Amino acid sequence: MLGLAGCSGDYSMLDPSGPAARDIAWVWWGMLAFFTLVFVVVVGLWLAAFRRREHRERSEREVRRLSRRWIIGGGLLLPGMTILVLLVFGVPVGQRMLTLPLPGGEEPRVIEVIGHQWWWEVRYPDTGDGEVITANQLVMPAGEPVDFHVSAADVIHAFWIPQLGGKIDMLPGRVNRLRLQADDPGVFGGQCVEFCGTQHAHMKLYVEAMTPADFDTWLSARQAPADMGEDQQHQVAREAFTQHCARCHRVAGVSRGNTGPDLSDVGSRATLGAGVLAMEDGAITRWLVAHQRLKPGNLMPVHDHLDAETLEGLGAWLETLSP
Amino acid sequence: MIRRVLWLDTEHPMQLALGLTIWSLWFVTVYGGLSVVCAVSPPAPEEGAFTGLNLVLGGLTLLTLGFLAWLTQRCVAAARRKRGRLRYMSALAGGLYLFSTLGVAFVGLPLLLLPPCL
Amino acid sequence: MSDTQVPGHHAQDKTAQLHRELEAVWRNPHGWRALTVVNHSTLGLRFMGTGLAFFLIGGVLAMLIRAQLALPSQAFMTPEIYNQVTTMHGTVMMFLFAIPVLEGLAIYLIPKMLGTRDLLCPRLTAFGYWCYLFGGIILLSSMALEMAPDSGWFMYTPLSSGEYSPGKGSDFWLLGITFVEISALSAGVELTVSILRTRADGMALHRMPLFAWYILVMALMIVVGFPPLIFGSVLLELERATGMPFFIVEQGGDPILWQHLFWLFGHPEVYIIFLPAAGIVSTLLPVFARRPIVGYGWAVAAVIITGFISFGLWVHHMFTVGIPHLAQAFFSAASMLVAVPTAIQVFVWLATLWLGRPRMSLPMLWILGFLVIFVCGGLTGVMLALVPFDWQVHDTHFVVAHMHYVLVGGMFFPLMAGLVYWLPLVSGRMPSERLGRLGFWLTFLGFNLTFLIMHWTGLLGMPRRVYTYDSTMGWDIYNLISSVGGFMLSAGIAVVLLDLALHWRYGRPAPPNPWEADTLEWALAMPPAPYNFASLPTIKSRHPLWHNPALGDEMARGEHALADASHGRREILGGEVLTGRVRERIHLPTNSWWPLFAALVLAVVCIGLLVRLYPLALGAFLVAVVMLLRWAWENGGHPVAAPLGDEEGDELPLHSRTQGGPARYTMGVSLIADGAFFHSLLFGWFYLWSVSPQWRLPEQSPLDPMLLIGAGIAFALGMLWLERRLRRLYAGNETRLALAFYLIAAFGGLHVLLLGVLLWQADLAPTDNAHDAILLVSLSYLLAHGLLATVLMVLQGRRAALGYVSTRLPMEPGVVALFWRYQLGIYAVLAVSLGVLPRVIGGGA
Repeated sequence: MLGLAGCSGDYSMLDPSGPAARDIAWVWWGMLAFFTLVFVVVVGLWLAAFRRREHRERSEREVRRLSRRWIIGGGLLLPGMTILVLLVFGVPVGQRMLTLPLPGGEEPRVIEVIGHQWWWEVRYPDTGDGEVITANQLVMPAGEPVDFHVSAADVIHAFWIPQLGGKIDMLPGRVNRLRLQADDPGVFGGQCVEFCGTQHAHMKLYVEAMTPADFDTWLSARQAPADMGEDQQHQVAREAFTQHCARCHRVAGVSRGNTGPDLSDVGSRATLGAGVLAMEDGAITRWLVAHQRLKPGNLMPVHDHLDAETLEGLGAWLETLSP
Repeated sequence: MIRRVLWLDTEHPMQLALGLTIWSLWFVTVYGGLSVVCAVSPPAPEEGAFTGLNLVLGGLTLLTLGFLAWLTQRCVAAARRKRGRLRYMSALAGGLYLFSTLGVAFVGLPLLLLPPCL
Repeated sequence: MSDTQVPGHHAQDKTAQLHRELEAVWRNPHGWRALTVVNHSTLGLRFMGTGLAFFLIGGVLAMLIRAQLALPSQAFMTPEIYNQVTTMHGTVMMFLFAIPVLEGLAIYLIPKMLGTRDLLCPRLTAFGYWCYLFGGIILLSSMALEMAPDSGWFMYTPLSSGEYSPGKGSDFWLLGITFVEISALSAGVELTVSILRTRADGMALHRMPLFAWYILVMALMIVVGFPPLIFGSVLLELERATGMPFFIVEQGGDPILWQHLFWLFGHPEVYIIFLPAAGIVSTLLPVFARRPIVGYGWAVAAVIITGFISFGLWVHHMFTVGIPHLAQAFFSAASMLVAVPTAIQVFVWLATLWLGRPRMSLPMLWILGFLVIFVCGGLTGVMLALVPFDWQVHDTHFVVAHMHYVLVGGMFFPLMAGLVYWLPLVSGRMPSERLGRLGFWLTFLGFNLTFLIMHWTGLLGMPRRVYTYDSTMGWDIYNLISSVGGFMLSAGIAVVLLDLALHWRYGRPAPPNPWEADTLEWALAMPPAPYNFASLPTIKSRHPLWHNPALGDEMARGEHALADASHGRREILGGEVLTGRVRERIHLPTNSWWPLFAALVLAVVCIGLLVRLYPLALGAFLVAVVMLLRWAWENGGHPVAAPLGDEEGDELPLHSRTQGGPARYTMGVSLIADGAFFHSLLFGWFYLWSVSPQWRLPEQSPLDPMLLIGAGIAFALGMLWLERRLRRLYAGNETRLALAFYLIAAFGGLHVLLLGVLLWQADLAPTDNAHDAILLVSLSYLLAHGLLATVLMVLQGRRAALGYVSTRLPMEPGVVALFWRYQLGIYAVLAVSLGVLPRVIGGGA
């Protein structure tokens, strides 16, 4: 499998790019520092107990006094104080990711994300005329909070963009809400983190934050009716698509299938197969020929009955779907 | 004649389990009550942490706290009076009641901090 | 044991005679009949040996995982195989290794520490062992058949349900694990009752060895904690086999219900594993610190607190499910709270070392290893309890690392300490200090190399359960280090096993009480006789062997209680719960084929369900019930148990001659387990009703109110009569006892009949919607219990007619009456929950 040279974004929660993730990273470093201290002291005391030379006889009362001091100090006060501080200051940190009303009374933008075995469906509701649906890529505005409404079409998945904030499960039959914000435009890694079957490992989400203006441009480009091109070769490919692919895949203006990923703007995406292949010339054809080798067990049937020329034509046409 | 209820004695082994059982019942009630109200008719998120729901659950928490504190005091007093095995069991029960009291207070704390149903 | 200072030949002859008699009564048979053994020492060792074998299998699976993840984009295993391997690694380690091995240790040690000869229900010990063995074999056979479960060891629905896992993998898991859990429950029940009722004379609760406190709490946690998973497994298997939609949203079910039931079991389970291991630490540490434990009461309180609080943490495994943040905060707080009792124990141990004169030796080394790893795991546990942080690291390798720190640190290291410590007791030989130290250091360093770095891998974003990862993720080097560490860890365990194997032959013979310990098991011969003690001691101190080092010899010479086996019965002493004062002699059943046969037939039930031959499964199930009843038949006054003699000594009655005795406790604790199952059922009903997104109550309740009330009245009348008749029996009146029992049973029969008609009239469509499905399960539960209550009453009538129940043998009907009370209770609760509330609140909701 090819690497996703430089276009996959980062998956590290210690390299935060949004306020929620940053708060949590600080909480982590704080806890790490304090708990390391506790760890060193406790283990140090245990080892010191072995090294002690002085063992005088102690009276019953003295033993009781000493042991109480140890147990109340170390067993009650130390953990008691620690967890009190942690609870009072730690738990509210999560509030940022709750979909509370915003102070100014404005409504944050909503993006719907639906988990499938093993790909992501991303929908932009309330986009006016043309419905915008895409797959395996999530484009969002930077610098403002975005509410994600997530659910699942089959089994339980989980939605996680480590650099922006915490994860939330995607459940069949329920909608969960999560608020995230990217500070600046950039590319981030997203992935499924609830075990969802054979190809759980290959369920990556390419996340890109844009300035709100760029985001609006991006969105309206996808609302405009696509230019399907009059090229003869592409005409043939489109017919092949209608015949062999349309039942599962949607392409705006061409087909309405909804079992597999929407392909309306597939040519403009950074990756294929939820992060398996980087998008480059010929990548779609390669995927069409070898997808069961690239992502074994994925739910798209093999196309061995189609000749190489048809597959190549399909790949070439799909690559043009890039508004 | 009133029959003496044995397990109310501070040294009865039942007393070791009673405090934490009350903690568990309180915990289940608060969690269950919250979940059901949130599933059936959640208060609006604008209200913040001071909703009727938080108030009712908080009141229940205070009642439980009071009851557990009384039970603690009762066992501690008995432990001071008694000797040997009786003193031992009463003191142990008192300690467990005390922990249960603190446990209710600690776990109930978020009721002051968070809006209920988000 | 060496009888060095015997005063004269006469005394020596008498001692030898006593040991010969005891040997004749308690001996384990050989050859084929070794399968009938019920002795706790033998079965405890079998449990541990079998657990060790499963541990090696689980370990090999772990090495496969580390081999696959050592390098990026490896094609060593296909994703299908990898998912089976991870699922089985978790399942085997949790269910087939950790819990059974600790149960085995408890089964082996508890009677010895309590100063008695066996557990209270020896046949149940054997039954538990066979269920464990067969369940484990069934589960593992799925790997050989290449259809192992692959939905992860917590089997989340709907991934594990029929639609997304159509193969047999999930069925193997559900049936095999349920089978193994029957074994855990058996052990839980009998350990609880044995600790409460069979301690040595004078061993009041506050003089009990700390280990027994830990095991008592663990056993009670098993009793309460396992039924939710059994209930969940029953529902999921019903869904898979018949299509009842408990976890399917479109039909009114809810996949989150599974998560609740699983973690209601799963979190307590962590402490079920940790507590006995901590008990090992609390037992060994004072011995090597050469002083009594400091803060015994603190430790007891901490154990009890842990036992309770651990049932209030389950949702912290579900912080990302989308439960209200406030509810998560409750569980977050409770999860942090559990750090307090754990810290108390750590500082109790520390204070004991500080105030003692500690010496270093191999067991102590393992305990130090435990401390380092466990404290680290505990601290990351507190981090994970913090909701926002958990939202980030949940289901990443950070959690994998944390979990291994807690479980390997909290369970495996103390277990190794215990193994080294108690090995001389089992074999009479000492393990090698040098090889042991090598094994320890390899294990310790290998472990930390594997898992310390794994926290970091998780923070860098690597999810758990991915079969491969791409090189661009930046996780390569950390995974490679983990894999190298993993193989080092295996090498360490291999050295430990080598030491274990070699010591049987080359170990130096152990001197009596080699570690200078304080607890009673070191007063035994090494290895111990099947009857443990020739006579049973009176205890006056928490540290009997420090108090009186000659106690072992005295007991071996028969100078204490119950030094007589001429009656040919296996006898132990029963005492009061609180004080340990002796109340009765308990006669135990001897070797028997029933446990093996019953477990074998249950295995047939499992296999029948697996291959979907339901008539076979049903038939086998009925045979199993008959066998269990037949087994119970050989009790009390039955000729093979303890038939009434003309004259029986009056100073200490046999327990079957008393009104309650330990049998009441056994029934009581079993009913607690049953009650936990029932609560899970109620939880399922109310959960689906209130939370499931597409649940619908029918407009009109399908349950006929007249039939429902009628069934209740019939049973209540029977119950009232039974209570009255019992009082008269205890007052000494046994006229027409059998007839009365038969007629009471008839009321039970009427109850069952009316319930049956109710169920039939309700005309449920259980495969259509979750409401009808759970109604069917609830009513079937009630019906089955009613039927069992009736059958038990009929059998009581028969036993009264045969003279096994009479004024001189009044024990059994009181035990059956407990079951009747339970049935009346669950009837009332179900009638209100299923019959009344939906009418009051109405449909919709």
